[in-house]
Amino acid sequence: MSAAVQKPVKASGVSGYFRNPWRRPRFLQATTIVYLLWSLLPVVIAVIFSFNGGRSRSAWQGFSLHWWTIDPSDSLLHDAAIRAAMLQTFRLSFFTVLIAVPLGTLFAIGIDRWHGRPARAANFTMLLSFVVPEIILGVSLYILFTSLFRSVIQLGTQAQLLGLIAYQISYPVIIVRARLLSIGPEYEEAAMDLGATPSKAIRRVLLPLLAPAILASVALVFADTVDDFVTVAALSGAANTETLAQKIYSAARASPTPEVNAAATTMLISTMLVIGGGLIFYKRFNRGQDTGGAADFVQL
Amino acid sequence: MRHPKDLSRRQFLTRAGGAAIAMPSLAAILAACSKPGSTGPSGGASEIPIATLENPVELPMTRDPIAANTPLESGPLVLYNWADYIWKPVVHQFEDQFGVSVEITEFNNLEEGIQKVANGQVLADVFVPTPGYLRRLVGKDLLQPLQQELVPNMQANVWPSYYNPGPYYDLSWNYSVPYTIYTWGVAYRRDRLSDEEAASQGWDALWNSDYNGEISLYNSYGDTIAVTVLRNGSLDVNTGDPALIEAAKQSILQTINDNKARLTINGVYAKLPAGDITVAEAWSGDIVGGQWYLPKDVGTDVLGFWRPPTGQTMIGNDLLTIPSAAKSPRLAHEFINFMLDKKHGTDNFVNWNGYQPPFTSIDPSTLIADGVVPENLAAAVVTEDMFKKDLTPYELTPTVDQMWLDAWTEITAGA
Amino acid sequence: MTPAKVKKRRRHSARKEKSGVWYPKWYWPSFITPATVFLAFMFVLPLYVVLSVAFGTVDFENFGLSVPYYAPWWWSFSTFNQTLSKFYVGSHIYQAPLVRTFEYVVFASIICLVVGYAVAYYTARFATKHRGLILILLVSPFWISYLMRIYAWQGLLDLNGPINWLLRPVGFGNTNFLEGRSITVVLGLVYGYIPFMILPLYASLDRIQESLLEAGRDLGGNGAQTFWRVTLPLSRPAILAGIVIVTLPMFGDYYTNDLLGSTKTAMFGNLIAQQREASGGATRAASLVLILSVIVLIPMMYYLRETRRQAEQA
Repeated sequence: MSAAVQKPVKASGVSGYFRNPWRRPRFLQATTIVYLLWSLLPVVIAVIFSFNGGRSRSAWQGFSLHWWTIDPSDSLLHDAAIRAAMLQTFRLSFFTVLIAVPLGTLFAIGIDRWHGRPARAANFTMLLSFVVPEIILGVSLYILFTSLFRSVIQLGTQAQLLGLIAYQISYPVIIVRARLLSIGPEYEEAAMDLGATPSKAIRRVLLPLLAPAILASVALVFADTVDDFVTVAALSGAANTETLAQKIYSAARASPTPEVNAAATTMLISTMLVIGGGLIFYKRFNRGQDTGGAADFVQL
Repeated sequence: MRHPKDLSRRQFLTRAGGAAIAMPSLAAILAACSKPGSTGPSGGASEIPIATLENPVELPMTRDPIAANTPLESGPLVLYNWADYIWKPVVHQFEDQFGVSVEITEFNNLEEGIQKVANGQVLADVFVPTPGYLRRLVGKDLLQPLQQELVPNMQANVWPSYYNPGPYYDLSWNYSVPYTIYTWGVAYRRDRLSDEEAASQGWDALWNSDYNGEISLYNSYGDTIAVTVLRNGSLDVNTGDPALIEAAKQSILQTINDNKARLTINGVYAKLPAGDITVAEAWSGDIVGGQWYLPKDVGTDVLGFWRPPTGQTMIGNDLLTIPSAAKSPRLAHEFINFMLDKKHGTDNFVNWNGYQPPFTSIDPSTLIADGVVPENLAAAVVTEDMFKKDLTPYELTPTVDQMWLDAWTEITAGA
Repeated sequence: MTPAKVKKRRRHSARKEKSGVWYPKWYWPSFITPATVFLAFMFVLPLYVVLSVAFGTVDFENFGLSVPYYAPWWWSFSTFNQTLSKFYVGSHIYQAPLVRTFEYVVFASIICLVVGYAVAYYTARFATKHRGLILILLVSPFWISYLMRIYAWQGLLDLNGPINWLLRPVGFGNTNFLEGRSITVVLGLVYGYIPFMILPLYASLDRIQESLLEAGRDLGGNGAQTFWRVTLPLSRPAILAGIVIVTLPMFGDYYTNDLLGSTKTAMFGNLIAQQREASGGATRAASLVLILSVIVLIPMMYYLRETRRQAEQA
């Protein structure tokens, strides 16, 4: 019998944890709790302050819907500029999803099945677009649209849309590809052995199998474009193409009121709804399959 | 004056605009490959000298103005203007009167606006630049001369200096009419410092540590460097003297570091009325407009404006012009004439904008008597005498402009 | 299918799949073409145009618009050199923001790593009962706009805000955190990007099998030794990936400083963002973007190589 069993280790704090990592590590636990509070509490407080009665967003002056509906010019409901910005935000997100997700899905399928040299080059470019800092892409596109393409594509909605697609297209590629790797080619091959044409096999067998990954991409791309600031700001044209994120940014730099909190809260809720919806669909489609899927989704 | 090669390519690109992406870009690549130097600094503008009060310029006619009997277009009229720089009801009135719609496209700073007009990204009927850009706009054939017969309100309502013989930057007003006129000074909270204190400090109020954290300077290199040159005792507001620029840079850094002065764009019209700012570098129009930003329970008498004696500060104006690319030039003339109408111009000024049109009918005493401008902001009303005698910010030469920009980068990048 | 037809199809097919189904040569390439063409125009071409603008000139008579030289054999490096020289010649006005960016990124990454590792380690190893909840909380910052989170911080750090209220009893009452303090900006960066560090770390630590740790102990190692000899080496790839993933966006970040700092804490991204409004700005912005691209090239390539290696292992 070893000594450790006869005389259980008794220690506390950091040193205790190092001696016995299987006991409850209070230090790590405290760090985690403090971190979680630190990361989420400010957002909760910002949401609460959208209901502040006064102008301050740091000193509580009583509950009111003043900045949501009551104020005749500066409330979310009555501020035409903010409403226009919201519309622009959702319009951009909608069309980005509409274009980026199909393009990315096709790309992922193609790259999974074709391994030629051009495919590798295309894949490298795709991954590069995934890691490049957003400011580099945003400023490059701004320069493109104001020099080479200056008479073809105007800064504004068109340019913002193209920029967002370029920045987002790699997400569906990565998500769908991960899914393709996990399902393998067998189902499709079985379908074709049973007489389906390649395109029919893709439509009837592969796409349904990919549905969770595609839905995850939709949710992710939508949420990410709603939140996007750098690309959208670099490529916005006239003042009427500014998005909600830009309004929040300029208000935060100038004279923020709880109206901005209300606008940000709206953005938050819409993102949460889309993500929540995506997660529910994902779980439904994934029922009975590997449970690691949700974690994959969450990571991406 | 036009540069034939340049123009033909521009026109070609514009026409090809609707075509596939590849075509015009290919054309541009081929054009650029064939002759990289051809688009270099050789435009027609370089033949027009930079205008100053001592050397006023009559801008050459790059083309003929439209005929006075050009029929009215069906619109829409595209107005390319600063954000929130016109009172919407006045625009609606124009729409009703002429049965057309007006599309307002906005820019947040003039550099951005100019670049988009020059790039052909915005095709406007009426554009609102400052005099410093006029020479290059005309040199690049981006503006069309005005048909003066269609703008009778110019001679009826505007200060004679603007048409007889015309302002130094555009003698005989070939291309421009004034939209608003404004001057530079110090805006302050009268509940925190008295008029006497403000007057005795002058520009130095912006360097006074008593207002630590409550000082605002414009986040605009041209304005703030020029004002600091004035504060440092020189009247050379277009200076190319490295020592003056260096001194101005040091002064600005000093008040930012020691007094926590803030670089803002809305310090005067929004933050000062809200009470966040006590003293601010100010355009006169901003502080007049500031009265509509005051909290409901605060009277307009808390706002004050000081400006140096005439001849020791700057005066500037914004212009109404018609781009060459205007699709509705006749409507554009009508719009310009409409804004120079006594009632419409004054409505725009007193109801919302705060920026004053240079009309003979507007004089400080009636404005104050009518309660449009509070008595304590009397100094913010601009007179024709100031326009004749005050200092003027000119177009800077590229070398000087880069010196100013470098100084400003040092300030904003915390070098 | 007649033998003749099969023969004919075989001539046109690219290669044989395991199941014996024949695909025309263009079949799979046609899947990747749309996205590839899109990226060629909207990702590769812009980067080339940036080179052409940076190595072109400026037409000051034309409002400081850039004059790009699209043909490499006409590239002129004089304008680019002017911008580059501002990093080290004369009053080297670009140097301070560059140095500051490196300092902030290094400090912020270290804090991200230390705090992130602790949180990921706890979640992966000890959080048994509440792991699902903790995971959701860890992930949720991803779905909240970065801008909103920084904006929320701004409110907390306000002179009259809760943080100052909390600090008042300790005697640090009226600290203006938002007047350009390095510590505020560094913590802002950490706050913004730490979730990107935690998740790869968590995924990697979660994959380490308990049996390996048991083995470490059985071989006589104590807790600390097991950690240093087993856990840490096994999570090394995730640590490096996490560091790259947080540093890349930090190098280009400008809005964190815009909202939490001042001119005194300006970073490289701020330099780029400011150019847009100035005369000759597009050309200078292109040069600065080029310089930034070179700076981030090494971590970017490292990351791509690592992901490919992992994909091949999988």
